[in-house]
Amino acid sequence: MSAKELKGFPRDTALTQDSLPQGIRPGGAQVITDETDRKTLAAVFDRLIPADEYGPSATQAGCLEFLDNQLAGDYGDGKVLYLDKPLHPKNEEAIMKAPQFLATPRERYATGVKALEAYAQKTDGKAFADLSAERIDEILTGLEAGKIDLGGDVDGQAFFELMLQNAREGYLADPLYGGNKGMAGWKMIGFPGARYDYRPYIDRRGEDLGLIPVSLIPED
Amino acid sequence: MANRKSIIKGIVAVVVIGGIGAGVWAWNTLNTSRSAVADDTTPLSKVTITDQAAIKHGAYVMRLGDCAACHTAGKGDFAGGYKIATPFGTLVSSNITPDTKTGIGNMTERDFFNAVRQGIGSHGLLYPAMPFTAYSKFTDKDMHDLWAYFSTIKPVENKVDENAGMSFPYNIRLAMAGWDMLFFKNKGFTPDPSKSAEWNRGKYIVDGGGHCAACHSPRNFLGGQKGGEYLFGGNLGEWHAPDITSNPHTGIGASSVADLMQYLQTGTDGVAVAGGDMAEAVEHSTQYFTEADLKAVATYLKSVPASKGQARKPLTFDAKTQQAGELAYEVNCSACHGLKGEGIKGLAPAFAGNHALLSDDANNLIHAMLKGTRAAHTAKVQTAAGMPSFAWKMDDKQIAGVLNYVRNTWGNGAVAIKAEDVAKLREDLKARDKMHSGK
Repeated sequence: MSAKELKGFPRDTALTQDSLPQGIRPGGAQVITDETDRKTLAAVFDRLIPADEYGPSATQAGCLEFLDNQLAGDYGDGKVLYLDKPLHPKNEEAIMKAPQFLATPRERYATGVKALEAYAQKTDGKAFADLSAERIDEILTGLEAGKIDLGGDVDGQAFFELMLQNAREGYLADPLYGGNKGMAGWKMIGFPGARYDYRPYIDRRGEDLGLIPVSLIPED
Repeated sequence: MANRKSIIKGIVAVVVIGGIGAGVWAWNTLNTSRSAVADDTTPLSKVTITDQAAIKHGAYVMRLGDCAACHTAGKGDFAGGYKIATPFGTLVSSNITPDTKTGIGNMTERDFFNAVRQGIGSHGLLYPAMPFTAYSKFTDKDMHDLWAYFSTIKPVENKVDENAGMSFPYNIRLAMAGWDMLFFKNKGFTPDPSKSAEWNRGKYIVDGGGHCAACHSPRNFLGGQKGGEYLFGGNLGEWHAPDITSNPHTGIGASSVADLMQYLQTGTDGVAVAGGDMAEAVEHSTQYFTEADLKAVATYLKSVPASKGQARKPLTFDAKTQQAGELAYEVNCSACHGLKGEGIKGLAPAFAGNHALLSDDANNLIHAMLKGTRAAHTAKVQTAAGMPSFAWKMDDKQIAGVLNYVRNTWGNGAVAIKAEDVAKLREDLKARDKMHSGK
């Protein structure tokens, strides 16, 4: 074994910037900055996850901040999506068994939120955020079932799915990404968080382990 | 690999020679008559040595002295360029290949003896970052063979300006004469006839080639080794070289000769694991020691008079601190270091019964938390398991908290680490800050 071979590994194991999680950036909203847009999305999110005896609402848990932060970064850019035009759009949808988009998530939110507000103004004559909980549920149910046309290029059903997915993610992702404040989502479902190792508990079946959830970047 | 070595504070101190009165003193220090046994005619680049036994033994002497660790930095073996941070600026290790333009190709054997054993180099006096104070113990035979070995090294052209990064007046090599007069004993190794040959061999390696005291003995403000505190442990700024006296609480007194041999050969004795600069010393040097030499070193170290370090009483924590420590340990540390601090044999250090982590100076633990570290990679234990950095997920108080828990659980006891201690090292090491928690 020569000295050269022995030098073949990194001594410093500090993480590089690329391998660190990209948490919430301080400084407030960067993408969803329009007040009406914020109110519309908040109204949707808080009907998807309302406050109740089990925990706070989606916006109380920070889901809007989570969404804004995600839309401002790689997720909003659609970095993991194939965004070049398909040769035969109908074929692509048939093969993928889901609607396909050339727009990035950031662009889909920009058009989708405006379309929701326009829909409320047209059908109810007032802002989406001012509708009753029952009426919002009615519209969301209609969107989910594909029975409401939001007009333009907006696929109402797909936009509903996108908002539902992002609200869930915001509620259950690590607090470092801006949602799940106070680990409310984890406490609600009994998830013990970012622990490395569960070997001490593996044999304790059926017991309430009373584990405290732990964030990847604990506050104290 | 981090291409630098930090050096004990004050190691390069300047003492101006005080007039003629120092003359006799200077004569003793700078007297090179010991080198008269060496040839002074043929330069290294022209030397032809065919004595294979001498070359082979010379290679072993190189391992004892660990020349490779500091004189190799990616430009070829022994081509120099390794950066050594000192409080007085950055030193760069010299090119010691037989290249005539940039290396030591023009040195004669006598020049070589002067440089290695007395710190008198071809460009002037050497800085004591080069452990010539220890190498002065090398026997003539070991030196002849080391010379033979260096005659077989491939010349590499790599120009190094060793002291360009040193600030005035430390960039003046002649200033080292004063330091030498105070701290350099121009004397070879004298065996103690009342001790065994094994013990004497051990002392020869520890005090000579092994230059253990260079890191493991504390230094005074001028960078000289403190008298009466031999191998009591030293602060290297970013790392701490622990007490290796026979003290059973803070030193190696509780380890057996076999444990010490295993540690030096593999980088771990099954409890402690070498990291930081010691991992390098094990990789480049001690893993190559023969069984007989390992035994000699261990036997000698076991006889070194104990430091004054006492066992510390475990700190007691209030309920909240105790719970926080338990949780942080379980969540972040237990997977590798064990729920009961038992570690993973040969991979991750145990915390229970590991004296090395209980020093008053906790720099090693703080350093490992902030920057991560790696175990030694040796022929017998090859995994070189890595400790990741926790700088991004814990603040100074959290790191101090979990370390205090580790140092005061499972029968351990140690002085409290303060958040300020972590903050200071975080700054010195340029470790990243804790990330935003999303609160």
